[in-house]
Amino acid sequence: MALLRLVSLLVFVLALGAQALTPSHHLSASDVDRLQAILSQPFTDLKSAYFSIVGLSKLGVSVADANDACSFIKANVDSSSVESLFYAAEASQALSSCEIHVSNETRDLLHAAVSEDSTVSQIHQAVSALSSFGLPLASQEVVSALKARISKEDNVLAITLALQTASRLSQQAELGEILEEIEDLAARLDDLGGVYLQFEEGLEATALFVSAAYALSDHVDVEPPLKEDQVIQLVNSIFSKKSWDSLSEVFSVASAASALSNNRFHKPVIVSALGPATVSHSQPLLQLQVTDVLCQPLSSADVLVESASSVASKAVILSQTPFTLRDGIFELNFMASKPASGYYQFSVAVTGDSRLVSNHVELKVKVSTKVAINNMDLSVVDKDQSIGTKTTRVEYPNKAKTSFVADSHQNFAMTFQLVDETTGVELTPHQTFVRLHNQKTGQEVVFVAEPDSKNLYKFELDTAERKAEFDSISGTYALYLMVGDATLENPVLWNVADLVLKFLDEEAPSTIQSKNLYVPKPEIQHLFREPEKRPPTVLSNTFTALVLSPFLLLLILWFKLGANISNFSLSPSSLLFHIGHAAMLGLMYVYWTHLNMFQTLKYLAIIGSLTFLAGNRMLAQKAVKRIAAEQSSRLAKYRSLR
Amino acid sequence: MSDSVFAVISRFLEEYRNRTSSRLKVIDAYLLYILLTGAFQFLYCLLVGTFPFNSFLSGFISSVGSFILAVCLRIQINPQNKGDFLSVSPERAFADFLFAHTVLHLVVVNFIG
Repeated sequence: MALLRLVSLLVFVLALGAQALTPSHHLSASDVDRLQAILSQPFTDLKSAYFSIVGLSKLGVSVADANDACSFIKANVDSSSVESLFYAAEASQALSSCEIHVSNETRDLLHAAVSEDSTVSQIHQAVSALSSFGLPLASQEVVSALKARISKEDNVLAITLALQTASRLSQQAELGEILEEIEDLAARLDDLGGVYLQFEEGLEATALFVSAAYALSDHVDVEPPLKEDQVIQLVNSIFSKKSWDSLSEVFSVASAASALSNNRFHKPVIVSALGPATVSHSQPLLQLQVTDVLCQPLSSADVLVESASSVASKAVILSQTPFTLRDGIFELNFMASKPASGYYQFSVAVTGDSRLVSNHVELKVKVSTKVAINNMDLSVVDKDQSIGTKTTRVEYPNKAKTSFVADSHQNFAMTFQLVDETTGVELTPHQTFVRLHNQKTGQEVVFVAEPDSKNLYKFELDTAERKAEFDSISGTYALYLMVGDATLENPVLWNVADLVLKFLDEEAPSTIQSKNLYVPKPEIQHLFREPEKRPPTVLSNTFTALVLSPFLLLLILWFKLGANISNFSLSPSSLLFHIGHAAMLGLMYVYWTHLNMFQTLKYLAIIGSLTFLAGNRMLAQKAVKRIAAEQSSRLAKYRSLR
Repeated sequence: MSDSVFAVISRFLEEYRNRTSSRLKVIDAYLLYILLTGAFQFLYCLLVGTFPFNSFLSGFISSVGSFILAVCLRIQINPQNKGDFLSVSPERAFADFLFAHTVLHLVVVNFIG
């Protein structure tokens, strides 16, 4: 059960997502004018003349001076070039009365160009020229040449030109295989974020593809295999760029626009509001522009509001209401349904033509109103409620005649109602502020007034509690009410009354220091690391003496024991040893005071090795002496025993 | 009880005075000196505080190390222990003593700061 619900929810969500695509980019009237202006620039050569003349004809506009154009074409045509003949033929065909004389050689040249050895571009130009000149051509030959070339030239532009060529051939020819290329080519389009669909070759390739695909589809009367969403994505891609790099790009955009407006199968609809989608009592009409891609109004269509519901309350205000057409704009008097102020979600459907694509549009419409303030009551209430309240009513936009006085024992209270001026319905705007401005010091404090459950706004100022915000400065404060909202046409700033506040214990400084954040801060003094406390010098000196005193004791003891150096042999090795040893001890002291480990080790190695050698010698001599003495004493003992 | 302890101590001192060779007594005097030096350093540390700690450590370790090395020398020189140290002659013991002291002093002076 839960799984079924989940699946249905998923399907619903997907369906909702699928049908929601509407064009996010389209040509506006000024864009179309700009296209026209670029195409109307004077011709530089035959190619630009072709783009301009044919482009303008696609936009439905005729060239400024047809005769001039015709003579230009005739003067610049090169009868030996297929390309030149193509431009001339197409351009002259677009002009109403321009005949170009075609000689037999020209005709033969064009026929010769239709073969498997020419490129698709050449075949396209030859066939188009032949067709525009009104010369007969063998469609089947062209088809076979195209098929052969398509398999060799597999790029987007070549296939697009093949499609365009096929649209000029006789309807009896076998165009089925070439027609299938539309689907293959459509599969090569890149989907960008679900919004754009275009070839990686760029805008021009995409636009030319669109015009070629629809030209061929119209010619054979078979609907092109493009889904509605794909058509809208193509519209987004082609018409998102509003300033074009080259004349050929402008030509391609114009051709695509013309193809999408005038083909037999798909007609994308652009629905947009004229100006901001806002209605109010002064402006009760919701005006919509419903056009095709070339910004021409769809006068024959029926525009209907399927449903209009309030965003806040979800209540449906309108259902199945038609728009009326006036001067190319579709209008609806929404205020006639007396909607409350706020935002409304409109679901608009455009019908009348089976070709229409993306003809369901969602619009958000804002209904604005004017606010009126009723029953503004001001009073000063004692905290212990012993004294009865005295309420003063003030009418907007007047100010209360007397000022109110409140000290720390009293509260100041304000109640009012905000209603819609015309309907009297209570409103709760986003911004309802009470501002207290001290005229002398320039201080201002802002509070928010909250509505209660009955939409009655209340504001209470507890003088003692709020004294911190006022910095306890007594004085006369001007009280303003500020009301604002996106759906209000008349935001309110109303000086309601003057309020004299008395605070106890004026703790604040007599002059206000404006809370200036950008003054230099007090300088931070760096505290260096304090050296550690040392004991007094007397103490450390005492202990130094104490620590060194056992040495004296040692000397005394040694003296008492009779240690002497009488056995000191003045051999060079022993002298050297003692000197070396003394030097090592001296090195230790020097290490403590001056050197580091590496230097010490270096010196130690030198002195140490000397001392070692000398000492070794000396000790060996001593050992020899000792062993000799031991042997002689043993001998003496042995002798005495015998 | 204390009587017997006193008797043991006086007997021990007498034996020591008579039996120990003067060479060993010299080393014993040295040992006493080292001990006192170390003890006085420790006393200072207890009374005054451990600043600077590294100096105290190096001084104390020097005392302790010297004491240990001197004890080793005494053991190795003592003719009564000759059986345990057949490969070590007194001269060799003294040379080891000097070498070990060199290393000890290197470390101590490095650490004394």
